[in-house]
Amino acid sequence: MINTQGSLLSGRNLERRFGGLLAVSELDIDLYPGEILGLIGPNGAGKSTTFNILSGFYRPTGGELHVLGEACTGSSPTKISRRGLVRTFQHGSLMPSMTVRDNILLGTMHQLSGRRRRKRVSRAEETAEMLGLSNYLQEIAGTLPHGLQRLVSIGIAFATRPKILCLDEPLTGLNYTEASSALQVLEKIRSDFNCSILLVEHNMKAAMKICDRMVVLHHGKPIATGIPEDIRANDEVISIYLGKRDDT
Amino acid sequence: MANYKIQSWIIFGVLAVLTSLYFSNLYAASIVSSVAIAALLAGSLRFVMLIGELNFAIAAFVGIGAYSAGVATTMLDISFFLAIILSGIVACIISVIFGSITLRSGGPYFLLIGFAFTEAMRIMFSKMEVLGKTSGMIGIFPPLWLDDWLSLSAVIICLILLFALYAIEKSQFGIILRSIRDNPDVTRTVGVNVLYWKVACFSVASFCAGVAGALQAFSNNVISPGDFSYLLAVFVLAYVKVGGESSIAGSILGAVFLVLLGEFALSMGAGEHIFYGSAIVIAVLFMREGIIGIVFSVIGRIRITRTAKESRA
Repeated sequence: MINTQGSLLSGRNLERRFGGLLAVSELDIDLYPGEILGLIGPNGAGKSTTFNILSGFYRPTGGELHVLGEACTGSSPTKISRRGLVRTFQHGSLMPSMTVRDNILLGTMHQLSGRRRRKRVSRAEETAEMLGLSNYLQEIAGTLPHGLQRLVSIGIAFATRPKILCLDEPLTGLNYTEASSALQVLEKIRSDFNCSILLVEHNMKAAMKICDRMVVLHHGKPIATGIPEDIRANDEVISIYLGKRDDT
Repeated sequence: MANYKIQSWIIFGVLAVLTSLYFSNLYAASIVSSVAIAALLAGSLRFVMLIGELNFAIAAFVGIGAYSAGVATTMLDISFFLAIILSGIVACIISVIFGSITLRSGGPYFLLIGFAFTEAMRIMFSKMEVLGKTSGMIGIFPPLWLDDWLSLSAVIICLILLFALYAIEKSQFGIILRSIRDNPDVTRTVGVNVLYWKVACFSVASFCAGVAGALQAFSNNVISPGDFSYLLAVFVLAYVKVGGESSIAGSILGAVFLVLLGEFALSMGAGEHIFYGSAIVIAVLFMREGIIGIVFSVIGRIRITRTAKESRA
């Protein structure tokens, strides 16, 4: 039995192998209540594989996974999501041919199943309002600009009112204004709903700003864990991922 | 509240019933029944398209429905309406078993499995002694008092089921079904059991296919394995594609249009298979949204010109 005290999501010694390729190994991860944890690393570091393991899309070839205290190693995505861990995808995390309203309504379907339609609709509308999508409810999601589509995909996931929200590069392709408003939304989700967030992000400035802690992956293994200031100062992280200016 | 377009349904229903009352002579009545059955089949095929799958097994379930009705009427002496419901239920139960195994796959794989199932069922029908082997079953008559009203009953039953399909599509379950088509992964991540809903959708569609099969058995009085080959599925696909798959009205329109045109083609001695094949090709090449798409765009244009005139005036 692993020690998962206080942690909502905990992975111990997680490993995923694709034939001869070891995509993720020796990964210990903990996410605490109300925390925003960043998962960073260069391309091919195993961030998306980690996400797929945590959300049940890949069965780990080794290690253990606990979600809210329950063993979920190898559980299906549906089961893990019903436990309270909901994720978004890097690409196309919405239903392009449906309206924004129906997209967000989908998020309420399981959790509020058996409840009245009005209840679901009001949850969807409340979610849309929080994300600033109220004016786009009747628009077809696939026709919206990229930034709004990202918000819709967060909206679908957040409409389930998860305990843990895993966001795969939510800020990619957003301009400065869009990114900062998206960050505000994430802050609000964390503070108002006590939702913990696991974030994969390439936008280092934004990630450093919002994350409480960070895990740096390289070749599928964690090479550093800690608060953003420590990560920024970590020599190994600098040499592998962040880089250094010549004049400093 | 979802907009169920009740008025359009009532107008359409009354028209359909009046048509079936008007054409009471034997031949015309059989065409009316064929049209109603074709429309129900098109609605059923399109319903499975909501989850993004092309259901070529539909012909097998029509066959299962028809043979169930045959067995129920000629061997078990079950009454007409009960036999029809029973046929739907048999098709539905088999579809739940078939669906829970095969709907784990999707796309071209599911299509091929459906195709294979249809052929397997056809061969099974033609080998079973009790089902009359290749010559099929005969003497599937509706009760005497219903003889003159058979086409009307067929129209009413098909209308009820088509409206049920439409209501499900418009309800919140419709959102789940369309989400599965658009993005099954996201649907899974919000806690929806995708396989369960796929099977549910498939079984509802198969119930309708079974009922359609039973109606076909009663209106033809004779069934044979050849009636339920994959060609039937191709015909139904033609109804949906030509009519337009964006709405259920399109599928109904396609069925009405092609069945009537098919009758016309038969009277000219043309091979209807070539006719249906070319109908699909023409629809896919020149009218992607089908007939209903053209109708909607014409209505849209009229509205735009009208508003433009009003704003000028």
